[in-house]
Amino acid sequence: MSGAAPEGPVLSVDHLSVVSRDSKKKILNDISLDFPPRSLTAVVGPSGCGKTTFVRTLNRMTELTHSLRVSGAVRYLGQDIYQSNVNPVLVRRRIGMVFQRPTVFPMSVFENAAFGLRILHESDAEIDRAVTEALVRAGLWDEVKTDLNGSALALSGGQQQRLCIARALAVKPRVLLLDEPTSALDPAATQRIEQTMLRLKEDVVLVLVTHNVSQAARVSDRVAFLHSGRLVEVGSTADMLERPKDPLTEQFITGRFG
Amino acid sequence: MATSTPTGSVLPRDEVLFDRSLRTRWRLGFDRWIGWLLPLLFLVAIVPIVDLVYFVVRAAYPVLSWGNLTNTQPYANQNGNAVGLALIGTFDLMAIATAVAVLLGLFGGIATAEFLSERSAGWVRTSVNMLAGTPSVVVGYFGYFAFVLYFGWGLSLIAGALTLSFFMVPYIFRTVDLAYTSIPRPIREAALGSGARPYQYILKVGTPIAFPQVLTGVFLAMAIGLGETAPIVLTTLPSLLVPSSLNSGVTFLTYLIYDGFNHPSTGPGSNELAKAFEAAFLVMMIVIALNVVVRVFAARYKKRLEGLYQ
Repeated sequence: MSGAAPEGPVLSVDHLSVVSRDSKKKILNDISLDFPPRSLTAVVGPSGCGKTTFVRTLNRMTELTHSLRVSGAVRYLGQDIYQSNVNPVLVRRRIGMVFQRPTVFPMSVFENAAFGLRILHESDAEIDRAVTEALVRAGLWDEVKTDLNGSALALSGGQQQRLCIARALAVKPRVLLLDEPTSALDPAATQRIEQTMLRLKEDVVLVLVTHNVSQAARVSDRVAFLHSGRLVEVGSTADMLERPKDPLTEQFITGRFG
Repeated sequence: MATSTPTGSVLPRDEVLFDRSLRTRWRLGFDRWIGWLLPLLFLVAIVPIVDLVYFVVRAAYPVLSWGNLTNTQPYANQNGNAVGLALIGTFDLMAIATAVAVLLGLFGGIATAEFLSERSAGWVRTSVNMLAGTPSVVVGYFGYFAFVLYFGWGLSLIAGALTLSFFMVPYIFRTVDLAYTSIPRPIREAALGSGARPYQYILKVGTPIAFPQVLTGVFLAMAIGLGETAPIVLTTLPSLLVPSSLNSGVTFLTYLIYDGFNHPSTGPGSNELAKAFEAAFLVMMIVIALNVVVRVFAARYKKRLEGLYQ
């Protein structure tokens, strides 16, 4: 959103590997992938293929678990986020994240959405404006506008998840990582979140982890298929789902494993 | 093949639900006996405590009065049944010890839960558990040599309070550590993922969630501290004055219990044992009150956090 739209990819992953320090097992193996502007990339694959670990490397969330070693590069607008003089806090402000289950904090709806702005010490007027905008963009505004000071814990699971999206959007990130954001939600709530994603991809680069191929078909432009820590295939959603090149991909999307 | 059942009907054999085998009869009988035994075991647990409270209340009753509880006159506290001085002394000791223990336990617990590596955290937790298991007399001697002699504070309120805090720190530390480590990891990651620094996460998100557990730990630690006797006897000097400074002597409730049993005066009209029971009664009442407050508070706060990370 802020600044001029970049020409090249917003985020590019270059020969990324992740090894578990404990078991010495390679969780991700030599992955290279670009995320261009105005795109929604679905990362799909069977359970345990490393897709969650993959998105977590994109904003250095892997660091919060001590036992992973990351090699290769992840470049945000050309800057390698794993370089030693990069501040991970700034990385996470530009590259937001939403998790499988809603992670609202025990505060009011408004304060939840304002969380990222408060820690940036924004002015009250700016926070008011940005929170409203974020709630509108997350598609939650109409449901909560009359009770912004009510506890966020009283919202339904789907509303809580959209509030989490609003919280991530409020700091105006350029990239939003969504780690199976609908896996804990019912079909109606899932549909609302999918509509939100379709609107958001106009100005935020979205990376969606999902185990659900039909969800990938509904919302994504591109699909990346991971299997046993390797990137098997990546391409436009239509190509991947209708004319997969790799037999593994075909088996996965036709539901033969996963 | 048809079999008749006790209700009189005749059914194919594999449709009959009744079973007269010894094994089944024994199992059903055992079930019934356990049903009786468990309430009995509950009584085994509850009878001693009820009897204890009754015993203490009955023994303390003759001298229990508002006047005795609030009287701080030296003569009445020395020769009569007044316990005002000990009440104030216990309050002073607990206030200082709680303040120190909360400070150490809170910072130590948060540091262990949030910042230390798994390995160092393990060492810290083991050390704290060892501290909790150290006999109180040993800690008392340590306090005596460290605070009374080495720091030269003498037998004093501050030496007693700091020694007392050693007993409270492990309880507060453990509940704080547990409270912060049991916050769902995604909640923590969501805060850090929104660009919060670790201290901002702790202040704004972690603490509101952990608070009820932390407070429970503090109250229970106070209940533990209230009952400690030996270490404070070793590090303080009984006094007949309200403590006026950190170096003052101090009389406290458990001292009266200890002293009343050790040197019951046998003179005419004396009632030292009753006074010991009076002190015992007060300690028990304060501990019960702390526990009730904890339960009420925890239940109320738990309701407020319902819906978190469902």
